[in-house]
Amino acid sequence: MLTLDRVQVSFGGVTALRNVTLGVAEGETVGLVGPNGAGKTTLFNVISGVVHPVAGSLSFRGKPLLKEPEWKRARLGIGRSFQIPRPLHHCTVRENLIVAQRFGAGKADPTRIDEILDLLKLAHKADRDAVTELALTEHKALEVGKALATDPALLLLDEVLAGLETAGKRAFMQTLGAVRDRFNLAMIVIEHDIPTISTLCPRVAVLNFGELIADGTPDAVFRDAEVIRSYTGEAVA
Amino acid sequence: MNPRILVPVLVAAYLVVPLAFQSNGYLLGLIVAALTIAGIAVAWALLGNLGGMVSFGHAAFFGVGSYVSAVLTMKAGAPVFVGLLMGGVGAAIASVATMPALRLKGPYFALAILAYAHIFQILAVQMESVTGGAGGLLSIPRFPTVLGIDFGSKLGGYFLIVTIVILAALAYDAIRRSTWGLALKAMHDSELATRVVGVPSTHLKAVMLVVSAFITGVVGAFNAHFINFLEPDYAFSGSWTVLPIAAAIFGGYRTVWGPVLGALVIYLFDQLLFKEVLPHGHQLVLGALMAGMVLWSPGGLVPVLVRRKGGRAHAHA
Repeated sequence: MLTLDRVQVSFGGVTALRNVTLGVAEGETVGLVGPNGAGKTTLFNVISGVVHPVAGSLSFRGKPLLKEPEWKRARLGIGRSFQIPRPLHHCTVRENLIVAQRFGAGKADPTRIDEILDLLKLAHKADRDAVTELALTEHKALEVGKALATDPALLLLDEVLAGLETAGKRAFMQTLGAVRDRFNLAMIVIEHDIPTISTLCPRVAVLNFGELIADGTPDAVFRDAEVIRSYTGEAVA
Repeated sequence: MNPRILVPVLVAAYLVVPLAFQSNGYLLGLIVAALTIAGIAVAWALLGNLGGMVSFGHAAFFGVGSYVSAVLTMKAGAPVFVGLLMGGVGAAIASVATMPALRLKGPYFALAILAYAHIFQILAVQMESVTGGAGGLLSIPRFPTVLGIDFGSKLGGYFLIVTIVILAALAYDAIRRSTWGLALKAMHDSELATRVVGVPSTHLKAVMLVVSAFITGVVGAFNAHFINFLEPDYAFSGSWTVLPIAAAIFGGYRTVWGPVLGALVIYLFDQLLFKEVLPHGHQLVLGALMAGMVLWSPGGLVPVLVRRKGGRAHAHA
């Protein structure tokens, strides 16, 4: 459903992504890993339209994306979360979802919103201010919720589990699995925690210095010499 | 709109003020002038509060609205009430011409739209065959008598402008309470977050600009037919920008009725009190009052009144 073809991104003289070619199928879950600064978030920014590549192309369900602004890509079915939560200001949690649904999915379906709130365990905070009255886990959940409310087919999750303690992480991971199954989603998940990634994602892609250096099953990828070197910076014995 | 606010406003607008002042033409004239500023102030606050844009160019929309209506009624024989609406449409079209400025933010937008205001003023001077040039237009038709009510009289004019202002405030309130209003509010501090959930933020801002220009154009057209003459320096005067901004900020531009209250308080106090005491330089008092209000209550007069009443529930009324 999503195809990136030789995508290249530069910020001034720095090449953030180099010749990245990647495909994601309907319903597939792909883990995206790599050291800090490898270009993972930049890749999400390219897919969601926040950053424009200097070369290469990308398409979603056969539709070229390069000329589509962020809001159109959201309507096409690409939902994303931000690593640092970006709730809609001056709105309650429910209003965040209402805006996302009205503009992203083009409908007003309160039942669906209640379902999302329940799934993400946000129902008790529905009428609280989204910026000032949420705990970290709830902020992360709202990031997912906003994206879900737009009726996505592809969900881009940028470190939604980072910063959570082990139990919280496990619980939230189960939630994500449930969300994926319920809404029949394809997902790309950026995550540092290898056990988490291995559990959630049957396929893992690795970025290093803007290049895709591995793509395969978690077992194969995490045994790959180049991948290990990119993480540890050492030669493999 | 909360009926506890709307009902007293309607009673005051359609019963108390007309009954109390119908025989006092001077005072009624001042109230009409204050409401004219109030209409622009509501439009300005709508753009500022919902669109997040500070405009220094509303004089342009006011001037375009007044000229479009005056020219259509005088040269094309359009009925005055049709001219009134077309004045709004003309200003809305003029606002489309200013839209390249929407790419700019904050002070840059404010300056760009100020420049646009001057372009329209120059056009009014140069297009002499249509606008009468610098000499202006005289004997612009008065409002007609409809169903026995002479809208050309001072009292009739009062009923018209007070209706325009109330409709503008109701439109502002309706937009603010809609999903659009939510998205617009959220855009100020989290524009990227709104865009990635499907909100076409630039389009929404553009629509707010058009709505704001339309209201201002109608008010401008009303004024042209109420005072019956126009000249470019007057129609595009910076006062049509500055006084509404002062009124909106004084009354509370984040509230619906703040700009209306601000315009009435500022204009009537200025004309009835400060001008009597200080015939020259009475604007100084206004300036001091504004500065005082911003220091005392940055949200303006309405939030203070609401707090006094002890009702936090209406803080956003």
